[in-house]
Amino acid sequence: MRSPARRTTGALALCASLMLGLAACGGSDDGGGEGGDDPIVVGISLPLTGDFSEPGKGVQEGYEAWAKITNDKGGLLGGRKIELKILDDQSNADRVVADYEQLIGSDQVDLVVGPFSTRLVVPSARVAQEYGMLFVEPAGAAAEVFNQGFKNLFYAAPAVADDHYNHLAEYLLALPAGEKPKTVAYAAMDDPFAQGTAYGLKKKLEAGGVKTVVDEVYPPNTTDFGSIAAKIAAAKPDMVVGGSQYQDGVNLIVALQQLNYQPKLAAFSTAPTNPEFAKAIGNKTEGILSPTGYSQDAPYESNKEFVEKFKAQFGKAPEEDQANGYTTGQVVGAAVEAAGCAEQGDCQQKMIDWLHSNTVDTVVGPLKWDATGKPQGAHMIQQWVGNDIKIVLPADAKEADLVYPKPAW
Amino acid sequence: MPNASKSLLSYGLPALVLIVAIALFPSLAPNPYILSSGVIVLNWAVLATAWNFVGGFTGYISLGHGALAGLGGYATGLLITKADLPSFGALIVAAVLVAALAVPIGYAALRVRGASFVIVSIALVLILLLVFQSWSSVTGGSRGLVVPRPFPGMLRPDHHRAFFFLYGGLLLLALATWWLLDRSRFGMGLKAIREDEDKAESLGTPTFAYKLTVFVVSAAFTALAGGLYALWFGDLDPVFQFSVLTGSYIVLMALLGGVRNLYGPVLGAIVVGVALEYFKVEFGNSPLHLVTTGLLLGLVVMFMPDGVIPSLTALVKRLRNREDSSIREVTAADLAEQRREREAAKS
Amino acid sequence: MLVFQSVILGLLLGGLYALLAAGLTLYFGIMRVVMIAHSAFLILAAYLAWWTNDRLGIDPLLSLVVTVPLFFGAGVLLQRGLLSRLRPATLTMMSVLITFAIALMIEGLLGYAFSGTQRRIQLGYGTASFDLFGARVAVVKLIAFALAAVSLAALYTLMKRTQFGWALRATIQHRDAARLVGIDTERTAGYGFGLGLATAAVGGTALSLDTTIYPSLHWHWIGPLMAIIVVGGLGSVPGAAAAALLLGLAQSLLQIPMGATWAQTVFYVALFATLAVRPQGFFGGRLAQRF
Repeated sequence: MRSPARRTTGALALCASLMLGLAACGGSDDGGGEGGDDPIVVGISLPLTGDFSEPGKGVQEGYEAWAKITNDKGGLLGGRKIELKILDDQSNADRVVADYEQLIGSDQVDLVVGPFSTRLVVPSARVAQEYGMLFVEPAGAAAEVFNQGFKNLFYAAPAVADDHYNHLAEYLLALPAGEKPKTVAYAAMDDPFAQGTAYGLKKKLEAGGVKTVVDEVYPPNTTDFGSIAAKIAAAKPDMVVGGSQYQDGVNLIVALQQLNYQPKLAAFSTAPTNPEFAKAIGNKTEGILSPTGYSQDAPYESNKEFVEKFKAQFGKAPEEDQANGYTTGQVVGAAVEAAGCAEQGDCQQKMIDWLHSNTVDTVVGPLKWDATGKPQGAHMIQQWVGNDIKIVLPADAKEADLVYPKPAW
Repeated sequence: MPNASKSLLSYGLPALVLIVAIALFPSLAPNPYILSSGVIVLNWAVLATAWNFVGGFTGYISLGHGALAGLGGYATGLLITKADLPSFGALIVAAVLVAALAVPIGYAALRVRGASFVIVSIALVLILLLVFQSWSSVTGGSRGLVVPRPFPGMLRPDHHRAFFFLYGGLLLLALATWWLLDRSRFGMGLKAIREDEDKAESLGTPTFAYKLTVFVVSAAFTALAGGLYALWFGDLDPVFQFSVLTGSYIVLMALLGGVRNLYGPVLGAIVVGVALEYFKVEFGNSPLHLVTTGLLLGLVVMFMPDGVIPSLTALVKRLRNREDSSIREVTAADLAEQRREREAAKS
Repeated sequence: MLVFQSVILGLLLGGLYALLAAGLTLYFGIMRVVMIAHSAFLILAAYLAWWTNDRLGIDPLLSLVVTVPLFFGAGVLLQRGLLSRLRPATLTMMSVLITFAIALMIEGLLGYAFSGTQRRIQLGYGTASFDLFGARVAVVKLIAFALAAVSLAALYTLMKRTQFGWALRATIQHRDAARLVGIDTERTAGYGFGLGLATAAVGGTALSLDTTIYPSLHWHWIGPLMAIIVVGGLGSVPGAAAAALLLGLAQSLLQIPMGATWAQTVFYVALFATLAVRPQGFFGGRLAQRF
């Protein structure tokens, strides 16, 4: 009579009705306001924990600075304040999609801007595209972001990953034959951005006749760099190039130093520009190179204001990640003002169309995009000299001369 | 035929409730986000039911089913991008491929019992993670794999609705298969393995062949769910496709709902799945999810190894009529199960 | 030269594997329990060492004074409070789930307390190294290896030379017989568990010296460790040590031609091969075939 199956029937029915109940009562948040003094809600998903939490937090500060600076000046569209709604995606692609789904579908935000890291940009840009939303992003720098056929996407930085080392490649290839590095070792994280930077340089150097002696790709969760370093040190290349994010770059450098390997030139992406970097490798930073898309001393009009107010707000100077977040805000803000609206629906297409045919002035200089949302420009090169990191390339922006061969680290 | 009508009541009625719920949910969902959560919950329901082919019938607890789902997803994605198969053709072919691959995996894993089986199931997840991360020329490595949309140009809410119904259909198919197996001679043999594998073998049940067959069936359904997920979600990343966590959620769901019942895993999936989504919205993402999952799993294992529903049922029953209680070392749920099996055998 | 360097690195790594696998195989010997949470405790100990260094500013090795007794106690509690209460019929399966649940909780709590950010101890001697017949040996790696070797030797002496070790071995070999000759097997089993977990405390501290840690790192350890104890023969401590050194060496050497990630698969290949060819393991251990 009383079979367990029958009990389950009741429980299942109860659950099914709960599920329907959840459907009926969820998502009661009111939709974004139509004009008036309602705030403009900007939805963002960022990696505040996990693999990309270091840069993720930097980008978050950039967004917060943008919201504060803009609001202090009276907001957008003649008085509408900006309100940020930030979710943590744990550096997780499943989560980032659910986050944007929630932000657009359930929270009904007026605008969305991008997360950090290329791996997360592609899935989230697709969500935005399928909801017909404009998607300006601070971090999707790899080539594959731009060949997915997105029409709503804009990368708010001067150059894509493959072009980051352009100035360095030009410099090295222009050296006299005797001084030019002959052999190079590459180690890159299996990440579209990090690998893109290293391979962009590799392609140009190989075309210029510089030999590749080691070419290692490691997964993002690698922690033991002993064997990769051993391979590099054994090959004794003139130059080592690391396609790194943050911790992996630190680990690789430490492992190389443990093996007492002294290259003539060492270039790593992202990690060396991090404020924690010098401490993390025990201050043995001498001569390390890194590309950067941002400089606090850049002469652009809005940059002075940004650096000043950022320092007042956070008590420190902005780095590249912060600048990327801020730039993204500037681009969206310009689009909102130009389109004269900020809400879901037709307004989004107006902003997309405007960005495709206009140039926006930002803290990293004027930005314009091709049809795929790819910016047109190159990165500056910085080098650790003494206990400071300085711009050394290109020549017209340099703060110090590039030291080559670099001193021992 | 009183048995037939009773069986209709205990199996047919929940099926009806389930079908109605699946049919109505998309039109009741107030926004696309709730609908997408519904798709995720149904995905869990299919996975838990598929897991229960092995866990419920044979008592072998696999923590590696997440890997089979991941394989299904990647196989589907790769067949579309590399072999130019149509989306749903690729889904079917992928399920067949994973089922075929489950034969050697099952052969290695099922030769050993208990602890070693679990070790192998976890190892399966970890090794596939390594392979799919490293073999980047084929799988895309850590950059992930983008699976082309099956319905190009479709807006997101409609896309969710379509996949909600697809998952609903798959769930009903899995449940029907479980039900048929449960009533067959084959199912009897499997349950004999669960109770005492050595005795079952000495009584002439070809235990190894039975275990292997049901493992393959389970793998096929798991792969179908994984493949649908790939088509729905669109981006595959090895870290999340081959995560030990997926397998542990599945086990938690199945154990919570009760592994010996047709609808147990579905129930567990709805409870855990809805809770997961709810906590995410209310409290954001935090590592405390892991703590809660671990705590729940521990509690279920320590105090209710037969599942919450059977345990509660047994408790209620014991309180209601004491004469049912027995001095034997079997739970009331066991007795009910045996009785049901006797009846099933008679009919 | 590269080969010699890899052999050195492999041996240094293998020593750590050996210590950890010894703990894991001890649990299995005592209770037929596969302790999934072993490596989670390992990472916990590593975090405690990192925390000691980062917040209190003292050498991470000093954290051993606290973590070893703490973990020993936790091991005894775990055995007495949870595992010995499971139904014997389903012990093996359910103990896996219980310890799995504990691993999840530890990972979650670590993530909650320290966030998912990767952490690394910054030591003054972190990049120091010396030359050994042409290979570079990092000081921190050598300290880690020495810690592992000393602990393993201590464990071995304890098991072979002391009254407790004799009782423990008797419990492992035949529990009922041990009880008949007057050994308190319950208590011995509890202490045995404590001992196993203490290896995780030592291992974690050693690990923290030279590796980046993050909460979910333990999954990358439990796989190789499980493979090691199966290859070594479940329940055999010397078998585990031998398999650990061998596989650690193989991993390090295979990294030269295959790269870091592919080289890790050597553990799983060895695991599947062992199960298919010789389920009882290659270094003794009569227990495995029955489980």
